[in-house]
Amino acid sequence: MRPEGIFQRLSAMGAAAQASVPGAYAWAVTVAPAAWARGSPVVAKVAAVAALLALGGGIVGERAAGGKVRPFAMWGFVLCCALAWSAAPAALAPLRIDAPRGVAGMVGWALFAFAFAAPSLQGRREEERILDAPELSPRKTVARGDAAYLVLGSALATALQIIGWRVATAERALLIRFSALAAGIAIVGAAADLALVRHAPRARRSRTRRLRTGMVMLVVLGLLGLTGILFALRG
Amino acid sequence: MHLVDALAIMLLVAATTAFVLGERALARAEDLSAMYWLVVGIVSLQAAVQVARPGKAA
Repeated sequence: MRPEGIFQRLSAMGAAAQASVPGAYAWAVTVAPAAWARGSPVVAKVAAVAALLALGGGIVGERAAGGKVRPFAMWGFVLCCALAWSAAPAALAPLRIDAPRGVAGMVGWALFAFAFAAPSLQGRREEERILDAPELSPRKTVARGDAAYLVLGSALATALQIIGWRVATAERALLIRFSALAAGIAIVGAAADLALVRHAPRARRSRTRRLRTGMVMLVVLGLLGLTGILFALRG
Repeated sequence: MHLVDALAIMLLVAATTAFVLGERALARAEDLSAMYWLVVGIVSLQAAVQVARPGKAA
């Protein structure tokens, strides 16, 4: 009998257990520093501890009673974290959160949401196959370079998240975060488009045709550049 | 890699630079400048995709 791999063991633990890892990470990065900051009230500390207990209760509850416990564990964790933040709002002021911690917290909460929403990880499936025939081979393989486009797009989108963490006003800090998020999504989408259009059938002399297609936007870009230069000279 | 693909990637990087400048202007409360750079970023992204999109095969 083959020894169980890490995926089989994680799959057997359930989705709540898997989500508890990024959940604990997000808690450690964003909730614990706020709850145990100087001057934080006891309510914040109690709520932070209750959030951890909800996370642990999700693991135990899922093993005992199945998946129906997961929403209670998730909402218990999220609401306790929200209570901890509400009780210590000064610890969340934009000037007290540095960029690396902010980005780490965003990644932690995104991973937690993804892990809690998704079913538990599955391991190798050869043993579960119904047909004895060999696996079907794919008609197309993913072309080389597509991953590079997506990595470039993701890196550029991540670079946008570094800006604007030292803004004093909360409203403006939120505006910057929202606009950076929207711009990041647009950049990743454009990078995916650039990767996909490489596989479309190309006509001869397509370079001229493509340049002509994009000419309107290039002209608009040129006009914008000219406007910027004129404004800079006036200023 | 075709020349237009390289141009599209350059436009993508230029769009990111414009977005970065826009965010920095937004952080300094220079709203007009921020709007200008964000529009430049959007147009650059659109130009990148349109330049890379191939014409219909004959």
